[in-house]
Amino acid sequence: MDKVKLNKYFERSLWVFHLNTGSCNGCDIEIVAGLTPRYDLERFGIKLVGSPKHADVLLVTGPVTGKMLDRVKRVYEQTPDPKAVIAVGTCGTSGGVFYNSYNLSGSIDKVIPVDVYVPGCPARPEAIINGVLQAWIKLEKLREGMKAAPAK
Amino acid sequence: MLGLLETGSGFWSAIIWIVLVLVIGSIVIYIRNKGEDSYKKNTEQDKPFISGNPEESKESSHLSANHIYWGFTEALKGYYNPLVKMHTGNINDYSSWIIMLTVIILIVIGVSG
Repeated sequence: MDKVKLNKYFERSLWVFHLNTGSCNGCDIEIVAGLTPRYDLERFGIKLVGSPKHADVLLVTGPVTGKMLDRVKRVYEQTPDPKAVIAVGTCGTSGGVFYNSYNLSGSIDKVIPVDVYVPGCPARPEAIINGVLQAWIKLEKLREGMKAAPAK
Repeated sequence: MLGLLETGSGFWSAIIWIVLVLVIGSIVIYIRNKGEDSYKKNTEQDKPFISGNPEESKESSHLSANHIYWGFTEALKGYYNPLVKMHTGNINDYSSWIIMLTVIILIVIGVSG
């Protein structure tokens, strides 16, 4: 990984919106663990925000239930561009043990485009942090692309 | 008209007011323009975030008056319910009330006078 380039990315804070689409809360607890003093993600300027309209990254946990289907799409559409989506946990990435459940619309990538997959049941905080880092790198590339060719 | 108006508690100047509005307005416009410029108008990005729920129409998201006064009428139910019963919508009933009250007032005036 290009350390110099990564340092440049850290100049800007990364705001993350966490969305639970039907998770058992296992992955959500691990996300919160990433913010506790042991891992302390906020020291890098990464923090959870209360609205997708303020977010750069969507951190989505759980398989998408039928009730959440419209809401996931709406939250994704409400997030300003450029944006990245991280699917956290086995259920989010594939549906997990619930993959063919009658009340599910499927894994997250069947509903919205996913950039980074973080498997695990639940995903470990280190893995989630690594996923956020991957999303950040992708997001910065998108930003640079948008600067080169600004949207009309 | 544009001069300085001095009062016991301060002063008022239209010119200072206009200059202040222009200065503060310019600062507000500058800060607003520094915001997210990649926002897409007339899409979901333009709508309020209500936990992912769709935005309801203004009519259906308003509270109607009987909701606002619910606690009031509930607390004063004993007083309010007889009043509701009195409002029959029949003009003869209302005329009777006026006649009865007029008679009572006249009797009171007659007795006290």
